[in-house]
Amino acid sequence: MIRVEGLSKSFNKGRIKALEDVSFAADDGKVTALLGPNGAGKSTSLRILATVMSPDAGTAHIGAHEVTADPMAVRREIGVLPHASGLYERLTGEENIAYFGALHGIDKNTLAARISNLIELLGMEEFATRKVSGFSQGQRIKVALARAMVHDPRHVLLDEPTNGLDVMATRALREIILRLKNEGRCVLFSSHVMQEVTNLCDDVIVIADGRVKFQGTLDAFKSQARESDLEEAFIKIIGPQAGSVA
Amino acid sequence: MRGQSHECGVSRMNLMLIVLGKECRDNFRDRRTIISSFSLALLGPALFIGMMTFVLNTAVGESSEPVEFAIVGADHAPELVAHLARQNTIIHTIESADPKQEVIDDLRDLILVIPSNYRDRFTRGEINSVALIYDGSEIGSNRRHFGTVRNMIRSYARMIGILRLQLRGVDPTITSPVIVQEVDTASPAARALSILATLPYLLVLVIFMGGFYLAIDATAGEREHGSLEPLLSQPVSRAQLVLGKLFAASVFSGASLMAFLVSLILLIPIVPFHKVGMSLVIGPLSAIGIFLIAVPLMVFGAALLTLVASFAKSYKEAQTYLTVVILVPTLPLIVAQLMNVESSALLMLVPSLSQATLIGELMTGAPISALHVALSVAATSAGAALFAWLAVNLYSRERILI
Repeated sequence: MIRVEGLSKSFNKGRIKALEDVSFAADDGKVTALLGPNGAGKSTSLRILATVMSPDAGTAHIGAHEVTADPMAVRREIGVLPHASGLYERLTGEENIAYFGALHGIDKNTLAARISNLIELLGMEEFATRKVSGFSQGQRIKVALARAMVHDPRHVLLDEPTNGLDVMATRALREIILRLKNEGRCVLFSSHVMQEVTNLCDDVIVIADGRVKFQGTLDAFKSQARESDLEEAFIKIIGPQAGSVA
Repeated sequence: MRGQSHECGVSRMNLMLIVLGKECRDNFRDRRTIISSFSLALLGPALFIGMMTFVLNTAVGESSEPVEFAIVGADHAPELVAHLARQNTIIHTIESADPKQEVIDDLRDLILVIPSNYRDRFTRGEINSVALIYDGSEIGSNRRHFGTVRNMIRSYARMIGILRLQLRGVDPTITSPVIVQEVDTASPAARALSILATLPYLLVLVIFMGGFYLAIDATAGEREHGSLEPLLSQPVSRAQLVLGKLFAASVFSGASLMAFLVSLILLIPIVPFHKVGMSLVIGPLSAIGIFLIAVPLMVFGAALLTLVASFAKSYKEAQTYLTVVILVPTLPLIVAQLMNVESSALLMLVPSLSQATLIGELMTGAPISALHVALSVAATSAGAALFAWLAVNLYSRERILI
């Protein structure tokens, strides 16, 4: 379970306020969407949760651990898919996964077993032993996801995962996310694509201009805005001015 | 980021080695890195050896070759001819109606013409003029031979002059209050030595170039590529990451140096040192000694390159910075060479300069002071530690991601 309380973060000596008193929660066994226009603070929130940035104020709990108090423990419990998949081009898909697995301290035998498991699960048999350079976006996402899951983390953080994916790859990713949810994991992904949200998530958190505008279930989202069209609901909730600069 | 790491000492080292292993394997597959790092290491000695061999072969040709020339009118001055014959010469006594024409026609390179009145004038103590004919427009040994014969004749004349003054009871040194002693240090041996003196400089360059590309790829390259962010979410401390990358660069630096030394050892026997009475043997033991002395410099160089490259946001930017940084270790060497600085304990505190000096001493078989080695290792290691600490510090800031 992810619990964020009063998170604030600014850049450039306080001139850019990325997050202002942001609080939200994401439950285990649920898919939670972090929705918002560009520059809303989605990536910043995810980065703080991923322990690559620290907040100016507030706390963020992942499971029993807090991100600034015990980042190492947090890192063991999260699987992160950042914006750029960031794979090593000269290594094979397998080697990419194995590297991170080794960094998690997984021993060789367990690692080998997990990797072949993941390859099967994600349908990577055809390309797992090839060098990453030349992979399509869909293939890259699969390797990146396997890499993020190799240590069996309870929480999965995905930053705009369907970026650049075609229809087939998007559907495949959706299936994977649903499976993760059914395994009881806490899945948090950020997006600005409405369709993903409808098809996938249980809970929605709307962020705009560094503030939380809405938090609740998908249905509550639709009814609060009194719109059945998601896009209209979204615009209403974030307000007419929000995000127009980004 | 604050926070406790619950790993014990052993696994801490392990993670660093995992990072090191990955960087080495990754960069080993990069053709550009391999070609750049190792071409210098393998071709450098070949070029070096080639130059020395050439210098020694041509130079020695100069000094031991006898001067061959012809003399017209040799019977007019038998003592002069005898004196000349005693030097390193091959003399042809000839008759010629027009010696000048013979040289112009390229029939002879050098002709000494002794006039028929030589003996009479000599006996009367009058100045004699002999003609030394040569073609000055020809490039090659002609000029040199001309100069050699002229000097031989002059020294003979001087000898006679001194004797005459002495016979008249006059101190011959009256006529030459100031003597210029020409010391030409460009003897073949000296020339060979000056080429040899560039070897330590080359070694330092090889050490730095070895880790150059890996340092860039592991820092700025990783940043540009976007693979740094996911890496920072792994349960590895920033120190383990940075040190793993740093030591990977050191490994490549060491491999580069090793390739250079092996290549050098295999090719050195080709150089004809014996022609100038020198002998240089770099055996496996010396090579190991050179390598060990260079180890702190490998880490120092890797640390410096890693630190500077970490400031860059892209591969190209890092390349620009590092190309300038490469000058840093080479400057002390150039300054020391120009100013002819003596090896001393103080010198040992300057990284790259201390290693170059010690390696030079090792190669020429000079005794090496244990104190000097200790100072060199300590000072260079301290520099390396400082750069490493700064790099880890840099990676602990969020700025590294933006």
